[in-house]
Amino acid sequence: MNGMVSMYARSTKPTFALAFLTFALSLLVSTVVRGAAADEIEDCLTCHGNDSLSVTLDSGEEAPLFMKRELLEGSVHKNLRCTDCHTGLEQVPHPERHYKNLAQFRSSFGEACKNCHFENYTKTLDSVHYGLQARGDVFAPTCVKCHGSHDIARPAQPRSRISQTCATCHRPISEAYAKSVHGRALFIEQNKDVPICTDCHRSHDIADPKSRAWLMNTPSLCGKCHADSKLMGKYGLSTAVVSTYLSDFHGTTAAFGAKGRKTTNEPVVALCVDCHGIHDIGKVTGDSAPAFRANLVKTCQKCHKGASDNFPAAWLSHYEPSLTRAPLVFMVRLFYKLIIPFIVGGLLLQILLHLWRTVVNR
Amino acid sequence: MKRTKDDRNKNDNDEVVRFGTRDRIEHLLVMLIFFALALTGLPQKFHDAAISKTVVNILGGIAQVRYFHRLAGVLFSLMTLVHLVSILAAVIAGRSTLAMVPGAKDFRDVVTTLRYYLRISDVRAQFDRFDYKEKFEYWGILFGGLIMITTGFALLFPIEATRFLPGQIIPAAKVAHGNEGLMAFLVVIVWHIYNVVFAPEVFPGSKTIFTGKIPRERMRHEHPLEYARMFPEEADEVLGNHAAEPARKQADADAPKPADASARKHADADARKKDG
Repeated sequence: MNGMVSMYARSTKPTFALAFLTFALSLLVSTVVRGAAADEIEDCLTCHGNDSLSVTLDSGEEAPLFMKRELLEGSVHKNLRCTDCHTGLEQVPHPERHYKNLAQFRSSFGEACKNCHFENYTKTLDSVHYGLQARGDVFAPTCVKCHGSHDIARPAQPRSRISQTCATCHRPISEAYAKSVHGRALFIEQNKDVPICTDCHRSHDIADPKSRAWLMNTPSLCGKCHADSKLMGKYGLSTAVVSTYLSDFHGTTAAFGAKGRKTTNEPVVALCVDCHGIHDIGKVTGDSAPAFRANLVKTCQKCHKGASDNFPAAWLSHYEPSLTRAPLVFMVRLFYKLIIPFIVGGLLLQILLHLWRTVVNR
Repeated sequence: MKRTKDDRNKNDNDEVVRFGTRDRIEHLLVMLIFFALALTGLPQKFHDAAISKTVVNILGGIAQVRYFHRLAGVLFSLMTLVHLVSILAAVIAGRSTLAMVPGAKDFRDVVTTLRYYLRISDVRAQFDRFDYKEKFEYWGILFGGLIMITTGFALLFPIEATRFLPGQIIPAAKVAHGNEGLMAFLVVIVWHIYNVVFAPEVFPGSKTIFTGKIPRERMRHEHPLEYARMFPEEADEVLGNHAAEPARKQADADAPKPADASARKHADADARKKDG
């Protein structure tokens, strides 16, 4: 029985265990009949409402078995029975179960959510978090680590709650986000348009953001909002940012799904995040524009080693060429817009005339 | 496009040597490189098109496509350099006939040809070694090529290019490179391919640039001035015939039209005999 010891058998308080058994036996009938959810909760709380109820596990860790009534009352699941999630525990006394340590004990009902939330559960199987779980990482997030368990609430009410949830583990990233143009709008203005963590990273099927496939997809990710003219119009932002990026060298490369050198997983091209930052995305218009601009050559130099101060102007900063913005580019474009139809049209006309004259001669 | 004395040699009764080995090799190389450049360049210009994605995938991804494009571009640049240097050397040495240099006659020839096409006149321009269409293509590909080479190298070395020049030249070079390339491509597939493949005079295609030889009949017809120089004994006949042509055509026009097809055919055959 080494390592597989019943938690009940190892209860540290024999007197309490005795009392518990007496109570449990007396409540057996009502449990089996399965009354209303509220009744069952009351039944369970008869024992689990005791704040000193706990069990010591094989590892020596103490597992509290206390259930605070107030937690349940705030839960979206308050109309469920305890045994809807804690399956197999309808009987009192509960059948013996064996747990090595606290982590195993806590994850014992981790799969309970899938009985109702099957779609979201299957999505998590593709997530980077599940990958950690599968590798045996006890700190890997499970359903309840993000959603809570007995106090489970709507995850996005308010929206900022989601970003705070992720912050439990991803503290430095969360702090960078909070200072970003998106984060400030979320936390200070309660803005409903800015992306929260899950808008970019998704909620259940969270992919590995360091993978090449994910990185190469970031322009379309940003484009979800930044190409939406209705949304951008509210803030006076241009939707040309995506089209101008895609028609430039970097964007074209990204759109073709550039592969890096065979030995690395890194993309070989600048994506939105390479210039604008990832979580610490700052404002590039208004007061912030000069600072961003001043820093631009350093940004370019991250890839283009030895770029001079002239170099950043090679990128038109998401502007369409015009007489005021980029007159040279505008003029060259205009020249070809006129010359190509003129030359090719003229030659086609000559061909037609030649054919016509040939036919006439016959 | 220099020519050697050998070009003037009579080959046999049917064909005349028009291009030397070097011209033929040069054309073949430019043709292949041009095709490679267009194949790897156009999908980059029209990156949104589904066909571009397919082409890029088949060629092994955008990085690979760019590698091929740059390789072909460097080869094209080297060819252009060799071409220009050898032309320059030939000119300095006085070996070049400068036959490709456009002159006032070429502009008159354009007008004459257009008047002929529009049936304003029945006089046909008489061309020398290169007609104005050939000169247009040659200078087009040379100047266009120089634009492509300059802008191409600016795009390949943007850091070096902007060391002393303003950054804006890079996007300007990109616009110029893509559009100039597109124009060259269109001129070649529309104009060049028509003139050497689909034009009724050469259909189903002239092999002259590959074999170096042109049928004597076509040479006489398309380059009468050069032909007259090659065969002085036929000069009067060749040039005279052409000089007489408008008068004959006029006579034809004045004469009552032949009533039936066989009569017309007969008249045409007569005209051809006179031409030949």
